[in-house]
Amino acid sequence: MREILAYERPDGRIGLRNRVVVISMVSCSNTVVSRIAQATGAIPITHEYGCVEFDEDHKRTKLALVAAGAGPNVYGALLVGLGCEQTSMADVKRAVAGTGKPVEALLIQEEGGSPEAERRGIEIVRKLQAEADAQERVPCSAAGLVVGIQCGGSDWTTAVAGNTAIGAMSDRVIENGGSVLMSEVMGFPGSEHIVAANSVNRKVGLQVLDMVADLRAEYVELYGQTIEEVNPTPGNKAGGITTLVEKSMGNIRKMGNSPVQGVLRLGEPIPHPGLWVVDNRAQGPDPFNVTGFAIQGANVTVFSSGRGSPVGCAVMPVIKITGNPATFRKLESITDFNAGVVVEGKSIPETGADLYELLLEVAGGRATKSELNGNVEYAIPREPARKKHRDCCADGGV
Amino acid sequence: MKKAIRVDKADNVAVVAQDTKKGDAVDCFGFEAVAGADIPLGHKIALGPVEKGALVFKFGVPIGRASAPIRTGDHVHVHNLEDITEELCNGYEKKFREMGA
Repeated sequence: MREILAYERPDGRIGLRNRVVVISMVSCSNTVVSRIAQATGAIPITHEYGCVEFDEDHKRTKLALVAAGAGPNVYGALLVGLGCEQTSMADVKRAVAGTGKPVEALLIQEEGGSPEAERRGIEIVRKLQAEADAQERVPCSAAGLVVGIQCGGSDWTTAVAGNTAIGAMSDRVIENGGSVLMSEVMGFPGSEHIVAANSVNRKVGLQVLDMVADLRAEYVELYGQTIEEVNPTPGNKAGGITTLVEKSMGNIRKMGNSPVQGVLRLGEPIPHPGLWVVDNRAQGPDPFNVTGFAIQGANVTVFSSGRGSPVGCAVMPVIKITGNPATFRKLESITDFNAGVVVEGKSIPETGADLYELLLEVAGGRATKSELNGNVEYAIPREPARKKHRDCCADGGV
Repeated sequence: MKKAIRVDKADNVAVVAQDTKKGDAVDCFGFEAVAGADIPLGHKIALGPVEKGALVFKFGVPIGRASAPIRTGDHVHVHNLEDITEELCNGYEKKFREMGA
């Protein structure tokens, strides 16, 4: 079994980083959070939510805020609220503290204003940072890795090089006892039969088929068209994609050949190691999906982009790879790994093995390009408003 | 020599890694074919003959059905490959759901 140097958490998970985060409870406290983070170098987590939200949306907000503090790469957290917002800071604090981490909280209205809240916040963060600095990495099993896999900004190389390399890496992660999280479920229709056939048992196969049947029905209800009617798009066809199975498989290949263990709702705890599908239907920019993995407890994400992407995450390293050698040369300052060697003739299994070695190095502390560039996105994923309520996320203990 | 990438051993098509002209020799991890037509970057080249009505494989799975006979080196796209996604998905799902526990 492979070993990495990582931080042991009180709840048994492993952290690949030891970040101190400052979390905003409502958009009204974003500026104070940003200023505390600027003064201390802590990671700010800001967003536009936290008040006047309908139940389904607010449940997601709370889930995401708890996850930001409770994540495996976080040493400790400072929560900053205004004082009259919908988000219950006490509930968020209790849930984060439940993981055994230090967590502090302050409200702008109670501190006597923004400068006062900033001053106290900076003191608290410096104390947390001193504690975090004193903690050392210890040898941990690579079985503690929980790896999100994603693609975005795709080109013709993404399916054949970037995502196939990720698939080969995913198999290595699983062989070594770890977990892989696949999402982007809006890209499943067209290859659900392949994913179902790769499921660990019939019950899981049915979970996959039911999820995609529900997605298909939702498309028809919301847009009046089937997925087949709009896919592949004219742009896909111009790029060489002929059929929907072909388009969809380009996404699915990231999962490699390991059996699917089940479909999880957003925020639902991972029952045991292995390959899991996260039913995150948020439609929006790439950080929605990366943040979804953070909410699920991932400690790292591997992201392939043919055209190149700078996206990172507030609470985990994001390893950026490209299947396009020209993109790697042009965008090396935002790209960690050149899977474009596949396009130039290197075998997919060998390239995936190299990517797994990089994953272990990053797990052990090697900074990714998105970390060096200060990319600390945290985008709470939103799903489209529905007439019928869909119980689409876990409550995160709040 | 032009290059093409085959993702899975079961595949009978590969993706060309550069714009390819009719008559160009194309190397696919040691297998060689001669392009039977101009094939743009990212499009598919046939690695062997496929009879009309037979399945075309990419990523190790059937992605569609040949709607015309395909020769080694042919460009494979909408003109000779039919999208049968609904048939593949529905057929599997029906069988899977009917199968006992």
